[in-house]
Amino acid sequence: MKNKKNPNRSLLIFCAPALLVYKIFKLYPAVSGIFYALTDWNGINKTYHFVGFSNFIEICGDSYFWNAMWFTLKYVLAIVVVANVVALLLAVAIESRPKGKGFFRTIFYMPNMISMVIGGYMWMFIFTKVLYYMADNWNMKFLDKSWIGNPKYSFVAIITVAAWGAVGYLMIIYMAALQGVPTELKAAASLDGANAWKIFWNVTFPLIGHAVTICVFWSLNSGFQVFDVIYALTGGGPGRATQSAAINIYEEAFKGNIRYGYATAKSMVLFLIVLLITMIQLRISKGKEEEL
Amino acid sequence: MKSKKFLACILAGVMAMSMAACGGTDVATAGDEAAANGSEAMETGASTEAPTEAELNIMMSFPQYMDQWESYCHKFEEKMLAEKNVKVTVNLEMPSSDQYETILQTRLTGDDAPDLFTLHANNIGTYNQAGNLADLSGEALAGKIYENVKETVSVDGKLLAVPIESQAWGVLYNKDIFAQYDLTPPETLSDLKSICETLNSNGVTPFLLAFQEQWVPQLMTGLTLGDIVSGKIPDWLERMYKDEGSYEEVKEIFDVIDLIMANGTDRAMEEGSEAGSADFAIGKAAMYVQGTWAANTIMATNPDMNLGVFALPINDDPNCTRVNLSTSTTLAVYPGTQNMDLALAFANYVLDDADSSELFQSCSFNPLATCHNYESSSWVKEASEYVAAGKAYQDLVIPSAVTDEQGRLLQEYYVGDTTVEEIIQKLDLAFQNTNSLK
Repeated sequence: MKNKKNPNRSLLIFCAPALLVYKIFKLYPAVSGIFYALTDWNGINKTYHFVGFSNFIEICGDSYFWNAMWFTLKYVLAIVVVANVVALLLAVAIESRPKGKGFFRTIFYMPNMISMVIGGYMWMFIFTKVLYYMADNWNMKFLDKSWIGNPKYSFVAIITVAAWGAVGYLMIIYMAALQGVPTELKAAASLDGANAWKIFWNVTFPLIGHAVTICVFWSLNSGFQVFDVIYALTGGGPGRATQSAAINIYEEAFKGNIRYGYATAKSMVLFLIVLLITMIQLRISKGKEEEL
Repeated sequence: MKSKKFLACILAGVMAMSMAACGGTDVATAGDEAAANGSEAMETGASTEAPTEAELNIMMSFPQYMDQWESYCHKFEEKMLAEKNVKVTVNLEMPSSDQYETILQTRLTGDDAPDLFTLHANNIGTYNQAGNLADLSGEALAGKIYENVKETVSVDGKLLAVPIESQAWGVLYNKDIFAQYDLTPPETLSDLKSICETLNSNGVTPFLLAFQEQWVPQLMTGLTLGDIVSGKIPDWLERMYKDEGSYEEVKEIFDVIDLIMANGTDRAMEEGSEAGSADFAIGKAAMYVQGTWAANTIMATNPDMNLGVFALPINDDPNCTRVNLSTSTTLAVYPGTQNMDLALAFANYVLDDADSSELFQSCSFNPLATCHNYESSSWVKEASEYVAAGKAYQDLVIPSAVTDEQGRLLQEYYVGDTTVEEIIQKLDLAFQNTNSLK
């Protein structure tokens, strides 16, 4: 076989379309962003000035941005825990079923196939109409909360919708990992008298460590970039109470004073923070993975 | 081995599809070229020859009038074919108003500008500076627009856009509910208070609140600031632009804002503007701080609605009680368009002597040019009476960053996250920030 001489070449050819799209639509804008971050371009004018690091200095004192950053951190923490725990529970539950795996897998994966903006508007209807209908007509008073207007409850709403959208994807990864755990190890443990929980915690869980790493990395990374769910549900409101860093950047670039250069500088800062945190996470969880 | 081949086939298929998607842009450029050729040919084309083809790209920000504009574009296509022997294809885009500005800016900077586009009259200055607006002063349409409307779309005597939506607006009210309890539109804040008391004691909610979208609560500042500036402190805005004023001076506006918020429907943050209009139409509340542009939704929900407009009072001085006279949506021609003749022809066609009235009436736009000779709706007439009596002011041009901030802060104020003092401080700061960027 020719391919054996250079296995990398065939891999590269298969990756080429994706790589090309990635380079043009992700890498190039990201790199050119470094340049715009140093200008005062407003996104419409044909001319702009080079302003050095003054955008970055201004960010240090921008309380709206840091508030949004703080909200994003809280969001990431919540979504990483909620989405991963629920996804793992679902994966284990479905894997342990003798029948109907395909059916449940499809059902729980489905939200992932809908755009989160559409999902957000669907849930908006649930939060603003359905829940109130239930509260008013079926006497379920605990549902009568300001789901969009009160930041405390809208945080719950946002996490619910975001987790609903992400769980299916993570679940598939966990299921694949669970299928890779050798049954003889579990059988051996059970012969040694371990109960179901002990088997899961001491045998299965360490062996799916690589899936945990991937899933936590993915949810961390996408959590920091959260935009669509919040935009569709609360628009960042009331006021700026549920504004994520990405929404703050978007508003800076396209609304109000339309400061494109300044917004790009903010996204650079966000990028550096995400890079730092995910690097730490990868280092920690890589060390904990068990190899067979 | 078989399954590997199968997989390879699928992968190859996916690859081919993604490449086809990348190739999509070619089609668009081909269209543009055809359009360019078309406009050249238009000047020389004779009516006996086969019609030349051309394409015109128009982007507009009101999807709620999609049907009306689509049929108007068809009429334009027919007219061009009959009069100039050009087979025009109008590509009408209507992004949602939320994302409209973002898309427009991306298109303008990305050298992919539409030939004609709508923009808010308040943005004419900015877009003009960036060189994105063609001068329309020499066109036939310039002579038709009413003088006071023309001022709102001109800079330095140059007409830069065709006004489309120009309206006098204040507070919408349900005339049937008012008649039922013998109420008349208020002249002063005390009047408004007693109206609220009467309605409350009869179990009717006075105001409909729909604060989910930030621009809706912002309408309250839009109206009240105009009232106070035109009636009391005429130089306030001018001084704000020079960093010499403060919102402290207009603090009075919160008297009426408090009154509205205290006498409104529940769950305001969970109510969008369209849902609010629909709820108002079915009588959930007697008054709604919303412009006459909502009339379309309201009348569609309840065609028997008896809709009225009154000016929002802010204090006990009737001189401050006025309606807002503003131009919002306008249509501009992109100066770099390759189809300048066609684009100008369309701009002129919007104020066409024969067809314009029908279009404006079907969208319930207000008459704004001499070619408009239709009978306007009852609420438009009511608002126009205020204008005729001199009880109107030109919409204040407040920087959009400050307007957005007003909306955000009023949401926070409604849910109790901020105080009047903090709002004043933050708005002053937002205004100064915008000033410092100029």
